[in-house]
Amino acid sequence: MTRISSPRRVAYLGLAGAALLAGLALGRVELVAIAAPFALGALAAAASRREPQLAASLALDRERALEGEELQLTLELRSTTGADRVDVLLELPSGLHTRARNPRAVRLEAGVPRVLQVPLHCDRWGAYALGPLFVRSRDRLGFHSWEAKIGGRTPLRVYPRAETLHALLPPLETQVFVGSQVSRSRGDGIEFADIREWAPGDRPRRINWRASARRGELWVNDQHPERNTDVVLFLDTFTEAGRGGRGTLDLTIRAAVSLAHRYLERKDRVGLVSFGGYLSWLLPASGTLQLYRIVDSLLQMDIVLSFATKGVDVLPPRSLPPKALVLALTPLLDARSARALLDLRARGFDLVVVEVSPVPFVDPGSGELAKLSYRLWQLSRESLRARYEQAGVPVVEWRDGVPLNVPLEEVAAFRRFARPARA
Amino acid sequence: MLPAALGAVGGLLLLLVLARGADEVLPWALAILGAAYTVSLVTHGSGVDEGVPLVAVGLLLSGELAAWSLDERHAIAAERKAVALRAGALALLAAAGLVAATVVVALSAAPAGEGLAWTVAGAAAAVLAVGVADRVARR
Repeated sequence: MTRISSPRRVAYLGLAGAALLAGLALGRVELVAIAAPFALGALAAAASRREPQLAASLALDRERALEGEELQLTLELRSTTGADRVDVLLELPSGLHTRARNPRAVRLEAGVPRVLQVPLHCDRWGAYALGPLFVRSRDRLGFHSWEAKIGGRTPLRVYPRAETLHALLPPLETQVFVGSQVSRSRGDGIEFADIREWAPGDRPRRINWRASARRGELWVNDQHPERNTDVVLFLDTFTEAGRGGRGTLDLTIRAAVSLAHRYLERKDRVGLVSFGGYLSWLLPASGTLQLYRIVDSLLQMDIVLSFATKGVDVLPPRSLPPKALVLALTPLLDARSARALLDLRARGFDLVVVEVSPVPFVDPGSGELAKLSYRLWQLSRESLRARYEQAGVPVVEWRDGVPLNVPLEEVAAFRRFARPARA
Repeated sequence: MLPAALGAVGGLLLLLVLARGADEVLPWALAILGAAYTVSLVTHGSGVDEGVPLVAVGLLLSGELAAWSLDERHAIAAERKAVALRAGALALLAAAGLVAATVVVALSAAPAGEGLAWTVAGAAAAVLAVGVADRVARR
């Protein structure tokens, strides 16, 4: 612990000495009387210099929480020597706050643990580490204080709340595993597709007796099988636009969590690619474990400034499986990600671009030149969108405050009337 | 005139300590206030001032309360017990200081003896005082 002594200790000693000397020199007993309380003060300061032995532990009632939830942090403070006053400060990250008094000052009795309950409110998603505690112990009269950081770090993951999505985008093609998506192909399934002539190997239960009676030969029903799909969430993390704690990265992550949650609920396989200054990916997989993997990975995501030229070649082939629906969430601010997406389309991927609009976070400026620049910037964005549409890629703008259902429905409408051009 | 001027300077320094949180100025404020009292003693009185224990404790309390105020300048919610402990300790120190100062004044009024024994006792007390001061300063 770092000890800090008050200047009063030396000052009292000096004042007492000076008063005694002055008393001797001037022959005045009053000055000796003046010296007496200060000498006592200095003695008290010397007697109270005893370093307190402090220890602390932090424990959360759970390690994971959702945005908006409240959880309980328990601080336990112990001292083998006792401490007359201990100031305790728990530094909280910006995404958390507490109604409890922080910092607070408590008294510790020797050998008796002191438990403090700190209710924490999770304001924003994120991966946090709580602790260590900043403690400052003072002696009874405040002549000495000892400062230290004690207690370990307790991890806390606050997950963003998943938005309720009414409908999801179906990929153009399904995979071979069983899922909830009705495939365009024919095989064993529930949804009726068509009837066809009987062929050796067809099961008797598939015979359509009415059609067979009408045609005088055996006809069987064909069904659409229920298959799963592969969805890759492609997140552009090269750059972001933000203002007042909100930004395109925040929206991107919230959208990615909602989409991953819903697709995984449907037994689809979901993968993740973070394409930015720091490249990361998760191979497509299904199940609750994959949801936790994705969300944990999203919590760590951040904008890392990089000038390196990157293309989709740097991604491992398994991160983008064939026939996968690539759902790109991008603010379309960086030319590298815009190029990479066009490259993906050229490679035949079923690509959908959800443009997380940076426009609400950009100040158009007040001058003539600023306004002109702003208009030019918007025109260049429109031109980029037109390039995607020419390549048969649906691009929809999604703004802060608008439900994610809206852009998804727009994409679905686009895909009802348009088919991707083979680039 | 000089004691009043010195007292005003000491008071202003004390205000500065409280307003600016400059705890390094606190000893100077106390020293100047003490000097003001000393000058007034020298210029005005020849007899023993019987109110000196109160002056001494007043000076000590000024220093202690100013230091307490500086310690509390950050808004830290303290338990009543922690505050009460300091208040109690301060009251105890003030009371002890008052008693000590009163004893000094009372002893000065008592008829002192003469001879070798008193001289040796005085020398031993001086050596003891220096030793204690040295020990306190080293800690």
